[in-house]
Amino acid sequence: MNTSQSSRRARPLWVRLHGSEWVSSVALLAFMALMLVPIYLMISVSLRSEADSAANPFGLPLEPMWQNYVLAFQNMHYLRSVGNTLIITILTAVLTVLTASMAAWAIVRYTRRWTRTAYQVFVAGLTIPVFALITPLYKIMQQLHLLDTFAGVILAYTALTMPFAVFFFAGFLRSVPAEIEEAAAVDGCGLLRTYWSVVFPLLKPATATLSVFVILQVWNDLVVPLVFLSSDSHQTVTLAVYGTIGAHSFSTAQLLPTLVLGVIPLFCIFLLLQRYVVAGIAMGAGK
Amino acid sequence: MIRRRSALLLILPAGLIFFGFVIYPLLRGLQLSLTDASGMGGGKFVGLDNYLAILKDRTAMTALRNTAVYTVVVVVVQNGLALLVAFWLYKLKRVRNIVRAGLLLPAMMAFVAVGYLWSFIYSPLGGPLDTVMDALGLHSLEKVWLGDPNMALMAIAAVYIWMYTGYSATIFLANYLAISPSLMEAAELDGASGWRRFRSIDWPLLAPSLTINITLSVIGSLRVFDLPFIMTSGGPINATQTLSLVIYSRSFTDFRFAYGTALAVVLLLLTAIVGVTQATLLRRREVDL
Repeated sequence: MNTSQSSRRARPLWVRLHGSEWVSSVALLAFMALMLVPIYLMISVSLRSEADSAANPFGLPLEPMWQNYVLAFQNMHYLRSVGNTLIITILTAVLTVLTASMAAWAIVRYTRRWTRTAYQVFVAGLTIPVFALITPLYKIMQQLHLLDTFAGVILAYTALTMPFAVFFFAGFLRSVPAEIEEAAAVDGCGLLRTYWSVVFPLLKPATATLSVFVILQVWNDLVVPLVFLSSDSHQTVTLAVYGTIGAHSFSTAQLLPTLVLGVIPLFCIFLLLQRYVVAGIAMGAGK
Repeated sequence: MIRRRSALLLILPAGLIFFGFVIYPLLRGLQLSLTDASGMGGGKFVGLDNYLAILKDRTAMTALRNTAVYTVVVVVVQNGLALLVAFWLYKLKRVRNIVRAGLLLPAMMAFVAVGYLWSFIYSPLGGPLDTVMDALGLHSLEKVWLGDPNMALMAIAAVYIWMYTGYSATIFLANYLAISPSLMEAAELDGASGWRRFRSIDWPLLAPSLTINITLSVIGSLRVFDLPFIMTSGGPINATQTLSLVIYSRSFTDFRFAYGTALAVVLLLLTAIVGVTQATLLRRREVDL
């Protein structure tokens, strides 16, 4: 009550701010437009002929040349690449969510010295760059016959995301009271039953945010597939973009459709699940 | 409620995966870096030879310097810009959501796609950037952006900053929105405004998000690989060579596994040292406030 009264007294200031708010809003929108120019270029040039965009890169695609996409689509083996990436991404997300949430549950609800140490070991992994272990990891994959397999890539991604996932679930679980789980235990639920029918549903919001993040990271990554996947049939979308452009001539009518096809799936996910993406970033989710 | 055996069982799957594919490779890497192993067989113990070789490796030393310069530039510019944008977004409620979504879009793109897109934009043969500069009468300032040794690293840093400014701004904005509105109004009424107000009110209250943002941008830029790999492959004359790039080429192009791992250990140590120092400094600052 007090604050609203005092802000009313300060009216002249607010009025002044209000007048300029319109101008600043337009300025901010203009800034956003400027930042989006590269993305506009990517889409518009992808729909124009080589000669047309060379004359003026900023022109509108008045007669969109969809045939540019046909070639890119074929060169990238697009459906196969998207399928492969989907398999890797979804299985990594599922494996990470299940294992990390179980571990976090034990860490938060069974506090002993060894579980605390386990937590610290997991969290210490948060800042390890993938290049710090990629060479020995390659040798290990070779010995386990996991090179050029989806299983190898999925395990590598799961391990690399594990620190953040455990950290994230543990933080979430600490804010949830243990009573519901205890009631379930009194009712005679076994461990896995309690996890699956009580804890896992409880974690839903955290699971959604984390999954969106795993998808974002895994889908866009080039390094792991570049090093661990070699056969064409296992190509991911990022690898397809890299391979197609590396192998073909550098013409805008071929280059840009490839890029658009490469980023479009995630743009769609972002538009659909924006809420979770923003929530995840706001919580300081890793990149 | 959870018993000892159950706890063990619950931690086991995550622990095994993490140990097998992160901890064990790290330990194995330490050991590998002390041998002369190549792509194929094992190799014998050679002590610190690989580490001494790094000191004599011009490319590696240049890469180390480039990585440091890149990190400093990205961390300072990206966070400064993001802070401004976040402040702007905080003030303007009506356009906030749409602008935040727009600015986040570049961060949703894969590095490969961004790298090729900007190679096209920077292209010296009628690329869009030069077209704009011609139109503005700035022809004399044009460079071969990715081909000029003095320019290439900064051109790549600019791309990274373009990608992640919206991302950092989102984190700052979340922090802004969590500050109680009455506190902000009180500041307004006290007549605090402009720089002084930012300095004494906003800045200290933004400490938590600053910690997160600086940590993320340091980690992200110390490991920089994809953009120079796609845009310049480390050239011209090693001007954009980075630590991760050298680790990759030594390990998987030259198949000098042991040497590559030694470089990886250096990257790990560097990340750890920077990480610990920065965590201590930033946390102390948070406590002080």
